[in-house]
Amino acid sequence: MKLRTIIALLCVIALFGFTLAGCGGQQETGKEPSQEPGEKPAEEPGGKPAETGDVSRSETFIVDVLGGRVTTPENFNVWAQTWRTPDRGVQQLMLEPLWIVEYVTGEVINALAAEGPEYNEDFTKMVVKLRQGMYWSDGVEFTADDIVFDVELVKATEGMSYHTEFNTYVDKVYAEDKYTVVFEFKEGNSRFHTFFVDRWGGFRPFPKHIFEEVDDPVSFEFNPPISSGPYVLKDYDPGGYWTRWTKREDWQKTPTGALYGEPVPKEVVFYYYGNPEKKVLAQAQHEIDLIEVTSETLKAILEKSDTSRAYRKEYPYFVNVDPCITGISLNADIEPYNNKDVRWALTLAIDIVEELGTSFDGMATMGCLAVPPTPVYLEWYYKPMEEWLRSFELDIEVDGQKFKPYDPEATKRLTEYIKSRGYELPSEDEEELKQIFGYGWWKYAPDVAEKLLERNGFKRDNSGKWLLPDGSPWKIHMVTGTNPSNIGYRHVFAVQQAWKKFGIEVEVETTENAATLTQHGDFDATGTWPALEPWGGHPDMYRTLRSWHSKFYKPTGEPNVGHVSRWHHPDMDKVVDELEGLDWDDPKVIENGIEGLKIAVREMPSIQISGYPGMVSFDEQYWTNFPGAENPYCQPYHHWPNLKYMLPFLKPTGN
Amino acid sequence: MSFIKRYLLPRLLQYFLVIFVGITVVFIVPRLTPVDPVQEMINTITQRGAYMDPEAIEQLRQSMKEMYGLEGTVFSQYISLWRRLIIGDFGPSLSQFPTPVVKLIGISLPWTLGLMLVTTLLSWIIGNILGGIAGYFSSSRWSAAIERFMMVLRPIPYYIFALILLLVFGYVIPIFPIAGGTSIGLKIQFSWKVIADLLRHAILPALSMILLGMAGWFQTMRLVMSNIVREDYVMYARAGGLRDTKIAFNYVIKNAMLPQVTGLALSLGQIFGGAMVTEMVFSYPGIGGLLYTAINAGDYNLIMGITMFSILGIATGALLVDLLYPLFDPRIRYR
Repeated sequence: MKLRTIIALLCVIALFGFTLAGCGGQQETGKEPSQEPGEKPAEEPGGKPAETGDVSRSETFIVDVLGGRVTTPENFNVWAQTWRTPDRGVQQLMLEPLWIVEYVTGEVINALAAEGPEYNEDFTKMVVKLRQGMYWSDGVEFTADDIVFDVELVKATEGMSYHTEFNTYVDKVYAEDKYTVVFEFKEGNSRFHTFFVDRWGGFRPFPKHIFEEVDDPVSFEFNPPISSGPYVLKDYDPGGYWTRWTKREDWQKTPTGALYGEPVPKEVVFYYYGNPEKKVLAQAQHEIDLIEVTSETLKAILEKSDTSRAYRKEYPYFVNVDPCITGISLNADIEPYNNKDVRWALTLAIDIVEELGTSFDGMATMGCLAVPPTPVYLEWYYKPMEEWLRSFELDIEVDGQKFKPYDPEATKRLTEYIKSRGYELPSEDEEELKQIFGYGWWKYAPDVAEKLLERNGFKRDNSGKWLLPDGSPWKIHMVTGTNPSNIGYRHVFAVQQAWKKFGIEVEVETTENAATLTQHGDFDATGTWPALEPWGGHPDMYRTLRSWHSKFYKPTGEPNVGHVSRWHHPDMDKVVDELEGLDWDDPKVIENGIEGLKIAVREMPSIQISGYPGMVSFDEQYWTNFPGAENPYCQPYHHWPNLKYMLPFLKPTGN
Repeated sequence: MSFIKRYLLPRLLQYFLVIFVGITVVFIVPRLTPVDPVQEMINTITQRGAYMDPEAIEQLRQSMKEMYGLEGTVFSQYISLWRRLIIGDFGPSLSQFPTPVVKLIGISLPWTLGLMLVTTLLSWIIGNILGGIAGYFSSSRWSAAIERFMMVLRPIPYYIFALILLLVFGYVIPIFPIAGGTSIGLKIQFSWKVIADLLRHAILPALSMILLGMAGWFQTMRLVMSNIVREDYVMYARAGGLRDTKIAFNYVIKNAMLPQVTGLALSLGQIFGGAMVTEMVFSYPGIGGLLYTAINAGDYNLIMGITMFSILGIATGALLVDLLYPLFDPRIRYR
């Protein structure tokens, strides 16, 4: 065979092969997903075809996809009971909910709803008033009929999200008029509306006029999708890496437009570049404007790119408004973790400064309560509980006095550590530092931990290792996932070091099956949320505390439905039962939440350590006026549904 | 007739037995892992912050089990699997319910086939040609240079090599994209622009696989050649005054190709398994990433669908090689 023939053969193979690759998306190209307002997809499913390169980079906002590559890129039906990567723009741009939490300002925004829900006295009836003048992107008005149809369809269709919830609670749903929906419940439920509150999830209405034509709403792909949000789908990658959205011409007829005005970017693209290192490379080349990364990769991008900035322009960079509390969950259903003294001993064996230094180089807000230490929750709970925390005593004496475990100086110790690392503090003002690094944590008191264990029959062997009361070695089995950038993973390894230092044998199992193991109770300690997240933008603690109600208790081995700690207590039941009888806007909700948090402190079912220290990087090459710490007008992430409310405030740089 | 009875039928029987055992193992193994697909799905939804009522979770778990076909004994699930497989139905994906497994594979497989087919064939052809030439002309300087180059290339861990390519050609000299299979906004249709875009995105992942694959084929070919060039018939041909190129291409390389052809057939069978690391490093679409997702989610049906392709590919590749071997090696006859 001559060289020329060989080369020709090689070229043919390459050309054939790579062209074949593209055939993965060929089957989908018959459908043009983009659509113009006023066009009914049923009649004209094609819509207007997207043109490649018709919008310049400077008019396009490109952000990351937290959920990764989309496995079913052609499917926009997020109402099927499954995972459809809603954070590729579906929840951020395409759909509006009735209500949405804004955890930065601490409010629940009325989106498609005109006002908050109205319940009757015994919470058996709820009335929802809808915002008028809202339209689906195909020109059909959004009305009460949409909600009624949606709820009835979901109730009737197994396999749709909220099928079980709606069937459990909803007796009747009907439209009182074009903009008023009435729900009648089978039993009183003061928090039913929270199913419609978008908090990185929630029931978002779908268009009746589309779904009523569909035979099987579960397998229906909803492509091209119709939007209630300010953008419509323009295009998507058949390989699942990017999804492209274009601004609606009638953006005024959406809650985003009505509330905040015109979103500025003409187009928004969601692009999944891969692991954090790839995201950094992409942003360094100005290919992506907003990413969430790890603390290490954040520092790398800040060094590499002059136009990149973090949530906070200088150290400590991290997002301190994320409404999640992180730490360690203990399996309080098994020995010895079913003993309050043991749980407290493990807590006092952790030095918060060392822990946060190891996990995040000090870039986190410490939080000792079962509620995230974001600015709004600091106001609602941490500040009001500060005095109580300072005087709170454990039932053990040190030097003849009851031991007070709270350490209000922990923030100071952390800032000293930060200075010793060579970083400059963001402020000298103590109150401001507390807002950033937290109000305090538990004392590092291994001596007290020792006493607590000893009074329960634990002792050390000759080498100083702890033995269980029956004389066998104490070995803690910790479970976490395999992703080192995961916050839970970092806590697990930092706490492992602390407990080892204290003399306990600790084994960490890193596994892809962490979710199943923790849900079946096959662990002693895990990095899973130590308390269920509250609403984020509302002081009601129902969601967090209810997961500890004894009615949800399942013995270890059975799949869990409440909190993974399986801890329960009659006092907490009482608090939750009282909370159920309160309207969520009742001022007593905070009092009740404080009571619940006090019980959680006394019992320490799981160890709360810090708020979720999100690391975002904004590239100011094309866009500016991001919601950074100096101007936190809304949440700063690309994956939260509230991204749509950030877009009207972005400013093009003109580059 | 004797060929059919004495060789083809037993060989076909063996072929079907391999597939049967393979599918049975793939059915059993995921069920032995602690991953519970229903729990994983509930966890995926709730971990991101969606509120699922604890009172509803228990009922939901039961209803999902029914929908996923996980009710009943393992044996009854196994029987129902074969009932479905016989009619070519892999069932719905559990992690992307109710999308059929076949559809998910259909979305990802062309990317994998395109990439793997090209890289497997190109690395095989180039590696063998270079290995053959270097083996025959082993005393020449350029042959030694190629050999040294391959010796350096071959031991580099794939992940590191791929990362270096990505950094050099995606960031330092940014001439290739660092992620994806197509550019933003590209419509897949037959045009040179689309082909060029597909090629541009595939070059880095392909190059990483071709270069390392080629080095492997080169070294085995070089080794086989070094034995064959010492055979009597080669010495005889040289003594007879035949040109070196004629001896190399017509006699030595042809003989050295026999084990390589077997290797190629098996490699082609393996392409259905995908290239997980390549897909991860270059964020390139394909079946490897899909399999990874399926394993993590405990998506039994999707795992079965993907591995079924792989089992069929490898078993069929081995069968074809066995049946076609007489065409390559005249010494072999099925009697």
